Amino acid sequence: MTSAAGLSRRHFLRNTGLAGLGVLGSSSFLAACATSVSSGPVKQAAGAVTVQSNLSSPQAKVAIEALAKAFGDKGGAQATVNTVASETFRTQLPSYLTAANPPDSYTWYPGSLLSGYARKGLLLDVGDVWQTMGNYSQAFRTLSGDGAGHQVFVPTTYYWWGFFYRKSNFAKWGVQPPKSWSEFLTLCETLKGKGIAPIGLGAGGTTPWTASAWFDYLNIRINGAPFHRQLLAGQQRFDDPKVKRIFDPWRQALPYFDPNGTALAFQDATTVLLQGRTGMVLTGTFFADAAPKDALDDLDFFQFPILDPSVPTAEEGPTDGFFASARTPHVAEVKEWFKYVATAESQELYIKNSSGTVLPANPAAKDSGTPLVQKGRKMLADAKELTQFFNRDSSDALQPTADAALIRFIQKPNELDSILADWQTAAQKVWLS
Amino acid sequence: MTTTKPAATVPVVRPAPARRSRRRQARTFGFHLTAGGLAVLWLLPIALVLTTSVRSFSDIASNGLGALPGSFDLGSFGEAWGVGGGGHAMLNSLVVTIPTVLLSLLLAAAAAFALSRYRIPFRRTIILVMLSGNLLPPQILLVPVAKLSELLGIYDTLTALVIVQVGFGLGFYTFVLQGFMRSIPDELQQAAVIDGAGPVQIFWRIILPMTRPALAALGALAFTWTFNDLLWSITVLRTETVMPVTPALLGLQGQYVSNWNVIAAGSVIAAVPTVLVFLRFQKHFISGLAIGAIK
Amino acid sequence: MAVLNAPAVRRRRAMRRVPPVLLLFVLVPVVVEGFWVFWPALQGFYLSLTNWDGVSAPSFVGLGNYAEMLSDDIFGTAALNTVIWIVLFGGISAAGGLGLALLLNRERRGVGFYRAALFTPVVFSLVATSLIWQVIYQPDGVVNKLLAAVGLGSWQHSWLADPQTALYAVLIPALWRQLGYVMVLYLAGLKGIDPALYEAAKLDGATSVQQFRHITWPQLRSVNSVVLSVIIIDSLRSFDVVWSMTKGGPYHSSELLSTYMYATAFQSLRLGYASALAVVIFVLAFGVIVTYLVRAFREDQ
Repeated sequence: MTSAAGLSRRHFLRNTGLAGLGVLGSSSFLAACATSVSSGPVKQAAGAVTVQSNLSSPQAKVAIEALAKAFGDKGGAQATVNTVASETFRTQLPSYLTAANPPDSYTWYPGSLLSGYARKGLLLDVGDVWQTMGNYSQAFRTLSGDGAGHQVFVPTTYYWWGFFYRKSNFAKWGVQPPKSWSEFLTLCETLKGKGIAPIGLGAGGTTPWTASAWFDYLNIRINGAPFHRQLLAGQQRFDDPKVKRIFDPWRQALPYFDPNGTALAFQDATTVLLQGRTGMVLTGTFFADAAPKDALDDLDFFQFPILDPSVPTAEEGPTDGFFASARTPHVAEVKEWFKYVATAESQELYIKNSSGTVLPANPAAKDSGTPLVQKGRKMLADAKELTQFFNRDSSDALQPTADAALIRFIQKPNELDSILADWQTAAQKVWLS
Repeated sequence: MTTTKPAATVPVVRPAPARRSRRRQARTFGFHLTAGGLAVLWLLPIALVLTTSVRSFSDIASNGLGALPGSFDLGSFGEAWGVGGGGHAMLNSLVVTIPTVLLSLLLAAAAAFALSRYRIPFRRTIILVMLSGNLLPPQILLVPVAKLSELLGIYDTLTALVIVQVGFGLGFYTFVLQGFMRSIPDELQQAAVIDGAGPVQIFWRIILPMTRPALAALGALAFTWTFNDLLWSITVLRTETVMPVTPALLGLQGQYVSNWNVIAAGSVIAAVPTVLVFLRFQKHFISGLAIGAIK
Repeated sequence: MAVLNAPAVRRRRAMRRVPPVLLLFVLVPVVVEGFWVFWPALQGFYLSLTNWDGVSAPSFVGLGNYAEMLSDDIFGTAALNTVIWIVLFGGISAAGGLGLALLLNRERRGVGFYRAALFTPVVFSLVATSLIWQVIYQPDGVVNKLLAAVGLGSWQHSWLADPQTALYAVLIPALWRQLGYVMVLYLAGLKGIDPALYEAAKLDGATSVQQFRHITWPQLRSVNSVVLSVIIIDSLRSFDVVWSMTKGGPYHSSELLSTYMYATAFQSLRLGYASALAVVIFVLAFGVIVTYLVRAFREDQ
């Protein structure tokens, strides 16, 4: 085990040297660089675990900082949180991981990008942390693996997606959450008749990715989660007739979409929903952060309607947590930190400080206990399969291809064939590189 | 627009005093109407930022960003300054910006002086090559620059940021300054040579003071660019405590949801130093220290 | 022009001797820039000949990335949009910047305020700028409300969401930011013009248009080459405003070469292809600027 790790580390060092220099210099220069990389300055050797965090919204930032403080107060290792904007974090992650002196641990999510980094030997094997973690579900265990038998991720929270609406608005309009696709369409028709845009979207500006929720749900409802995963992993084609099929129900719903759906960014779409100008939005629980406090108790959701009862029910249940760099000089401290964040106590603390709509990954931990959260937790528990979200199941690299295709479909549904063909071409470039 | 200015100074024919003053009044009125209208148009979006900064989050969340303000709350400024790390980030920005501007203008002025006032072999090629460094899209230099600063052991320090910014600004500043220096007439330099002044004195005592309008204009711009830089900061820095203002502002944006009032307040705070620098510098490049005044 | 000719002749003689200290004046900046810009740039050029995901070792593919551009529709769109962008953004900011500088050149009451007002967008953080312009362009935003108020309700539009208008809608905030800064460059240039030239012209009875044509414009030549360079550099690198408002969307309709390059590098993690795009941007910029400057240098002699 140790020798394998050492080997991969050396291999990796050479790669960094090559990458950084663009293989311009002579081999001796490369060697010199490789040495200087490995003996680079170790600034945070003092013992504190650095936690590079993309939780930049004020509430989440407070929550993770409180977590680090509570960890430090226990008297063992210390943790310092380093928050950077999530967009910055995403673009810089490869640089962080390949740095001579990388941050120790990172907020992130499981998915193809994670296993990709794991395959390149960049991530710390935290299998021994998992041995102390008790009865985490098999689903989380699988999700946190690198596909080659190593555990490289520690999940802390997860959340769910659904059609969110305001209870008071539904009462005012005299409508009920639908139980089937046809009831859903009837609901939309009723709302439209009242002059309300039934379905909000929020795919404008810099948040076109929200449209992918529709694609994900239609695909897992019609073709099932296994096909969905294969498609997103490049083993199926986007111009496959099976994929084309899922746009039929979408076309049925399209007349009920808010005409401003591709013009308003996600956060503005939330406001419009709260004002009762749209009826409902397919979104994740994070949207509650955009609502004023007094509206929180008024929010409810319903499950994305079942389209084909023969397909095992799957839900989107994106998971968040931590991974660590393989090259951290603080292996013991990082593992101590990971054991802590995996405890029920720490996850309850985090949920208490954050907006409270996420679910703890530790089965022993209590959630915030509101009826909304109970309902969401039950929906995910009843699901036969869980998916993450488009970019998590595929990769951040594939997300822009989905954005281009789906926004174009919403605006020009008649061009579906060429949209899917273009999507396949664009996706292929990502997979081949 | 082009006709208003010189004409206002040049009464070609000399009309009777009364008519002249009435015409001047009309011109002044026209000027203020045009310039004032433009200024209002320009400041309108900024007024929107200011309005956003004094609204409460729940007002924005329930009524939308475009709505008329339904609240007045200065708390966002405190939040941007304290919780958002604005105060600390501002200090980092100044620590980076001031040396960067001084150092890059000094180096650029020296190079521009030599290249524009002396017959350095290949001087035009050198200028073009230096300028060409600025034609590269900086995004593509990010990864190599990060690795380079790591190799030198200065990654994640403000020193690295200063050096990188100086290196990247030099080409353009040199190009601009040599353009201005080339148009300075030669008599004063000749006289100084006869008086036995060396090139360093000529540079420091004669050419540099005469380039003051250009240096001031460029200084104001360089200050703005350096202060507002985002790309280089996130490339060579990764620790929150050393981040300058712009990445700190970006950091106020949440992954999904942002408190726009705090971001707006932070932007207003961050704009203060650059506006002050501009107001200070514009006196220099406007002060009428024209080349002709010395001749 | 005749005024300047005599000293120019004398200058040429003076410049024959080059004191050694001047080599240092040139060498230090060149070395600094070389180390932090050209050395990384060379690596970028090399990377454009490889496939690289930013983590593994790059694999050499020769000119493969350049060949790929030929069949890349998005590259075609981005290149065309970039040309439109250079013409509109460049043209308007040069002409507008000069106009503003002429308008605000003379010292008079209030002029400092006007200049500062026009310059303010340059100093404002991009995060706030793009936020506010998104609000302005929203379906129920300022633009649409204004249109409705003046009876043009039928022109109302989702400006940033419509592929027909997105590029132009982003152009306006970009110009809003750029004009003040071109104005500052021209103001500095106008201050460098010898007032004696205008005095002489006035004595000859020249009109203001004639003064502009025969004095102001020729005297601004060195500033013009600066402005041209700035405009080419900025229009090819225009990235931040577009990226923060539309990310090049909806479906690539506001894609510029620079945003496409960024998306390719940092979203698709295809750093090799992105480097090749960067090289194309560089060659375009260098081509335009060098053509102009070489001509300008020649005219100077």
